[in-house]
Amino acid sequence: MASSTRSLGRIIAAILLSFLVTAAVLLLADAPPLRTLGILLQGGLGAPAKIGQTFAVWVPLLLGSSGLLLTFAAGLWNIGIEGQIILGAVFATGFLRPFPEGGGVVLVAGALAAGILGGALWAVTAGGLRTWGRVHEIFGGLGLNFVALGLTLWLIFGPWRRPGVASMSGTEPLHPSLWLRELAGLSLSPMSLTVGLLAFGAAVLLLRRTRWGLTLRAVGQNPEAALLFGLRPNRRILEAMAVCGGLAGLAGALQVVGVYHRLLPAISSNYGYTALLVTMLASCRARFIPPICLFFALLNVGSIQLPLQLQLDSSLSGVIQGALVLAVFLVQGLEERFLFPGRGR
Amino acid sequence: MEFLALTLAGIVSTGAPLVLATLGETLTERAGVINLSLDGSILLAAMAAVAVGLLSGNPWLGLGASGLVGILIAGLVAVLGPVLGRSQVAVGFILTLFCRDLAYFLGHPFARKLGPELPVWSLPGISALPFLGVVFGRHSPVVYLSLLLIPVLWWWVFLTQPGLELRAVGEKPQAAFARGISVHYLRILYTLVGGALVGLAGGTFSLAIKPGWGRPQGAEGAGWIALALVIFGGWHPVRAALGAYLFAALQVLGIMLQESFPGLPAPLFQVSPFPVMILTLLVVNMGRTGWIQDLAYRYPGLRRWVSRWQASAPAALGRNFQPEKEG
Amino acid sequence: MLIEFQDIHKRYGAVQANAGIDLRLEPGRIYGLLGENGAGKSTLMRILAGHTRPTRGRLLLNGKVADGLTPAAALGLGVGMLAQDPLDFPALKVWENFVLGKRRRRSETLKRLQDLSHRFHLRLPPEEKVAELTVGERQQLELLRLLDLGVKVLILDEPTTGISVTQKEALFGTMRRLAAEPDKTIVFVSHKLSEVEELCQEVIVLRRGRLVARVAQPIRAKDLIALMFGAEPHAALGTEARTQPLEPPLLTLDRLHLLGEKFALEDLSLEVRPGEILGLAGLEGNGQELLLRGLAGLIRVVGGRLVLDGSELQGRPYLAFRRAGVHFVPAARLEEGLFPELSLADHVHLALPRNGRGTAPLSPEDAISRFSIQAQPSTPARALSGGNQQRLLLSLIPARLRLLLLEHPTRGLDLEATRQVWQHLVERCRQGTAILFSASDLDEIFAYSHRLLVFYNRRLVANLSTRATSLEAVGRLMAGQERTV
Repeated sequence: MASSTRSLGRIIAAILLSFLVTAAVLLLADAPPLRTLGILLQGGLGAPAKIGQTFAVWVPLLLGSSGLLLTFAAGLWNIGIEGQIILGAVFATGFLRPFPEGGGVVLVAGALAAGILGGALWAVTAGGLRTWGRVHEIFGGLGLNFVALGLTLWLIFGPWRRPGVASMSGTEPLHPSLWLRELAGLSLSPMSLTVGLLAFGAAVLLLRRTRWGLTLRAVGQNPEAALLFGLRPNRRILEAMAVCGGLAGLAGALQVVGVYHRLLPAISSNYGYTALLVTMLASCRARFIPPICLFFALLNVGSIQLPLQLQLDSSLSGVIQGALVLAVFLVQGLEERFLFPGRGR
Repeated sequence: MEFLALTLAGIVSTGAPLVLATLGETLTERAGVINLSLDGSILLAAMAAVAVGLLSGNPWLGLGASGLVGILIAGLVAVLGPVLGRSQVAVGFILTLFCRDLAYFLGHPFARKLGPELPVWSLPGISALPFLGVVFGRHSPVVYLSLLLIPVLWWWVFLTQPGLELRAVGEKPQAAFARGISVHYLRILYTLVGGALVGLAGGTFSLAIKPGWGRPQGAEGAGWIALALVIFGGWHPVRAALGAYLFAALQVLGIMLQESFPGLPAPLFQVSPFPVMILTLLVVNMGRTGWIQDLAYRYPGLRRWVSRWQASAPAALGRNFQPEKEG
Repeated sequence: MLIEFQDIHKRYGAVQANAGIDLRLEPGRIYGLLGENGAGKSTLMRILAGHTRPTRGRLLLNGKVADGLTPAAALGLGVGMLAQDPLDFPALKVWENFVLGKRRRRSETLKRLQDLSHRFHLRLPPEEKVAELTVGERQQLELLRLLDLGVKVLILDEPTTGISVTQKEALFGTMRRLAAEPDKTIVFVSHKLSEVEELCQEVIVLRRGRLVARVAQPIRAKDLIALMFGAEPHAALGTEARTQPLEPPLLTLDRLHLLGEKFALEDLSLEVRPGEILGLAGLEGNGQELLLRGLAGLIRVVGGRLVLDGSELQGRPYLAFRRAGVHFVPAARLEEGLFPELSLADHVHLALPRNGRGTAPLSPEDAISRFSIQAQPSTPARALSGGNQQRLLLSLIPARLRLLLLEHPTRGLDLEATRQVWQHLVERCRQGTAILFSASDLDEIFAYSHRLLVFYNRRLVANLSTRATSLEAVGRLMAGQERTV
């Protein structure tokens, strides 16, 4: 019982702290704190269309964090998830390019599958760099992120450019028959939502209920013991990366067929990095992931209003997200050092 | 010849911020602390330099602000990591995202404004020389700082007593502690000093190399390259700085090629350092892989070649030290 | 310096390393400190040198209570310890290691180093990285450093490993000269009885955390061995455990060369039969661990052959050994053998064979009851006591096995638990599994092994049938007194 009140206390302290930090930042920017936050929340919840958008952003974050649950369990820092989302988008676009006249559900499904493949391949590359090249997955993943970005730019301005006008607005839009259907006026596709929730459920199930998930957790906790048990840690690492990459790729593919209907340079919209923040904030506890994803999605969508209404940059959402995670870290650290020393980690 | 001199001058100045950041992080990592927030810190410091510079009208104040920002962020890393025992990697990564967003948010009003610039100094005597004069003679003071710091840091780390203690702390903090060296104090100190240099790197970008603040800022990705350069440089100031100039050369080359191939988009050249980064990390880490070790055992010649290229991290890098836990 | 230990107790979790030690060490003498592995010598010396603090009792130096010592504080008071694994900086150079902690100019440091090296007939190249030195050289460097600091109490833990005779003579000469000074006390921890006999004026023997004897010169090795290793009977499990099985060998080593991290074992040749139990005797770090891990497939083989059940396994990966029916249980249970946050039930599930091949596996409840593990299936491994962790590890051993390798299988277990573990192990050996195990307790080795392998000075020095030798003889071999191989 004492532990859950402590948990609550920790959360409240963190929220307060991040609120103070945000307020300080806003004051520095000459912005009225409460009004700004109000516009932020309104921007995400104010109208049905906005709520729909929030949920639309919820999906890629959910997909990303679900995959990260697996890689974190295996003791990996999959910073490369951003690039895996991009590659998923690229593969999905590439799959659909031979069909300018459009097609049916089968094509869409094919595009999603292609996206999963793309993301998985990219992730396994980063994983392989680690297992065979001893390049830490942080650097491998990061480098590959930038390479993915470069690849996208090259495609958009090169082989896949719109005839006549190569621009940052992306490739030729897909035929409407390939777009995911949306709920009226809500800019939210029920299929995306379903996919997101299913993926989350599947990831949790995989992690908690299967032998494979148990093996992953073992590898993350003690690679030496995992070796002794005959669990083949290197294989597991690659498998975890593949699954996470696949989920990330799926998110990228959904961005293409469901949201933008074409390939953009900013197709991943930093969702990969945001998903990392979500998972860290949740301390890899599955039950916190959907609500935190939703809250972060709310912040992202709401912050779009800021340049229009207050002449502020929309990166405020990232500031708040980062402040939250830092606040939690600070509170946890202080708690361990000063309130309950010697508990160890 | 003139063209070569000008190109080299460009490399020296383009490389200056990278050199500063790399040197700073080398110091920090030598003490055993990894500051993953470099990329975000540089952006935030660059923004602060422009903001303070514009508001005060004095680019030097802007430079000071950038250094201060670097110290503050590094201070957060030092507190959350070595002092409070959180994972240095996690803290650094979160900070890099946070600072990046903070930089863009607070920098919004300063975007695309004509930024203040640090003056360009002509070194008396040197600037008159035929070839070297062009390469080294006319630069912003921060560029000279970056050049100066290379031998200074090399001397500090390898030839002085405090430098020896720095290395000891990063190698084996338990042993350093047993000899009465204050591990915590030194780690915090060098994290802050390294952070100051990282901040200055940001200021260099926005006050000298590419004055002003924009979105996206030209310095994006520089922090990650610096982190990789520290590894590539084997935690040795001179080697790391050489790596920085190599990357600067690649960038300069990229710009020149871009002019010859106008069809390809500019950002493409900006991302080209990263595959090179991965390659260098591969080369430098390869000796630790099992299959290379097996090969090296069978072919002694290979072993010698491998060990020459190997980068050996300070053994305690990234691990927080808790003396109470010993014994 | 006068050293007084008053009722020193030190507990590490469930293990009582020092149990009420009262000891008074006068200056001007060289004391020998003897005892088996786990007798408590290292702990006592670590307390003296400030590396740890006693759970009860006091330490007095020259009559003043020395409280809450750190290594640096102890050094300040004049107490220096030369550990077997010196706390030095492998990546730094010799002269840098020598000077760290003091502020001194390089030229002066080099001169000092040279002077001291000369005095003790040592050759330590100043610019060489310490990682390139042998353990003996590292110890020498540390010794010089302590002498340079002017320590009044010098603790030497196994200082003569890997040094030449000339260097040893020089070292002993230094020790004698130091001890002749009025306020210097020297404690010489060693297992080499001949050296203890030669150097020390008085010998202190510890056993199982207690002080059992103080013997002044003249010292006889025979008496010392009896005091160190004792004669407490271990519950032997009947003569069945002692009879030599006669069958074709299960495992054959033919001039095997194992390359470990710190040293190598060369030219290992031996045969093991099904159902045979081999005990690996010797002081820690002399190769037993290397052999066990090498047989498990965890150590690189650079020469020779390893044949199990007719197939050659040298050079094959770890999984091939596992498939061939080899299982290894490490001594560092939590660090190497278990997953801290996973539950007991999780461990059982992970240890199950993949496709249900092999005999019916244990359920978590079975494991708990059969091995008397005091825990629930949901208890995480880190919450288990050391003894229970060991029992868990033993319960995870696959059913049908050809070769079982155990590092210190009963470390931290009480008598009853030890008896249960051995009952289980002997049952396996009846089913044809061969067992190799290392242990600190010679009694245990004698009670359960058919044969003994004795390790000394990082080499295998003896391969004996238990019935053909005695505790005393093995003790001598372990201490380097004899060689039979």
